[in-house]
Amino acid sequence: MKKSIIIGKSNVGKTLFMINFAEFLGLEKIYIIQEFPDGKKLNREMSIEAAREYLSSSSKYKTQCIQSIDISIPVYKGKKEIKIMDTSGLIDGIHPDISIRSGIIQTLERLHTCDIIIHIIDVSLLTQGILLSQIDRQIIEYGISRRGYILLANKIDLDKAKIGLNKLKKDYEEVYILPMSALYKTGLDEVKAFVIRSI
Amino acid sequence: MSNNILDLYKFGKVSLNETFNQLFSSKAKEKILKGQEDNSENIKSILIELNDLIGLANVKELVKEIIAFVEIQKRRKNENMLTEPIVLHMIFRGNPGTGKTTVARIIGRLFREMGVLEKGHIIEVERADIVGEYIGHTALKVKQQIKKAIGGILFIDEAYSLARGGEKDFGKEAIDALVKSMEDYKDNLIMILAGYEYEMDVFLRTNPGLKSRFPIHVDFKDYTTNELIEIANIMAKQRQYKLTNNAIMKLKQLLTTYNDSYNSGNARLVRNIIEKSFRKQALRLKKQSYISKKDLLDIKAEDIEGNDNY
Repeated sequence: MKKSIIIGKSNVGKTLFMINFAEFLGLEKIYIIQEFPDGKKLNREMSIEAAREYLSSSSKYKTQCIQSIDISIPVYKGKKEIKIMDTSGLIDGIHPDISIRSGIIQTLERLHTCDIIIHIIDVSLLTQGILLSQIDRQIIEYGISRRGYILLANKIDLDKAKIGLNKLKKDYEEVYILPMSALYKTGLDEVKAFVIRSI
Repeated sequence: MSNNILDLYKFGKVSLNETFNQLFSSKAKEKILKGQEDNSENIKSILIELNDLIGLANVKELVKEIIAFVEIQKRRKNENMLTEPIVLHMIFRGNPGTGKTTVARIIGRLFREMGVLEKGHIIEVERADIVGEYIGHTALKVKQQIKKAIGGILFIDEAYSLARGGEKDFGKEAIDALVKSMEDYKDNLIMILAGYEYEMDVFLRTNPGLKSRFPIHVDFKDYTTNELIEIANIMAKQRQYKLTNNAIMKLKQLLTTYNDSYNSGNARLVRNIIEKSFRKQALRLKKQSYISKKDLLDIKAEDIEGNDNY
């Protein structure tokens, strides 16, 4: 089974993207496996609505562990199983909370074993003269050096996000950048096409 | 190393950016370097394995020569000079249990690491594998074995048996087919013929072109008694046993009494004696009421027994 990992800074919409992507692929219920840094594992089954309410929020660091779901994607006439891993958000420097640092370590450990890297950034933040954060730039550089890397420019629905997107495209011409909105479920079709191409 | 940096991050000593850099940018660099470094590391470990073999000074010398030659050939190639394709067909002559097969296996791996052979595997065949039952069958069988061995080593044990059957035997046909293919595939196949000294000499005389087609002749000399004792010690050590001084004396005595030329200096004989002594020791210990750790370790003189018959 191919593994894909969703990474990015905190509060860019990683978990919401995973849930909505699962829904987009036709799942009504998701069976989610949570792996905590201390080795504890939790299996949960919930409906899409419940997952959206329970797992994602608009505040930072809702996700503090690896959450993965297995999805089968129709490819031509058959189906392919992939594992999608949602991770705890990354942050520049040293985060003061050790439990969050442990969550980040989980992400780093898994990063190079994954076949597909889905990197999400909040493109609406780029407008106010703020540059892309250092960790995002590092991930992009790592992504360029390997296969199966995609950069999702999330929150394209917000005002001024287009400006940020253009800036991003100009800075990283060689990266495959996809504008989308996890909240309003736009651009998911292209993500699906990319995933199918990569497996 | 990568785990270290993760720990450092966990305890808040370094920033995520630095951690990420260490983990991933170093990996990309490593990948490029790895190809070259890994190889030399492996060659080293294989050479250590070869050097750990007792005796066999001439074999070690030969391997050194070949390594040097291959390296210099590579240098010459870099300078756009003429390079000889290396023909490395070999004949191993020696009594049973003198390490012919062991050396052939090590050489196969070594040549793969050095890039002389593509795969470096070793196909061991004997008479029955390459001599057919009816006319025309033999060449086909030889071809099949050659095909399997391409990119590696074709090791023919007891090769003299090919020439033993007399005029009408198909063994001759097999030799002719082998000679043909060893010329055809001299770049990516190494053929090693092995057998006892005297019989191999007779064998080489059967086909006049045979001897000159094998540029490398290696004689595997019989082990001296002292070398055999050393081998016994190593064998015991590998299996976490220890020979007591008395046991060594007894073994020495035993080995000197083996006078027939095939079995003196035979490492396989030593292995059999040693393995038998493990069983004897087990039997002896079972009778004891208390067994200490030292008892489990030690092989005593009474455990050593030469006679294989029960």
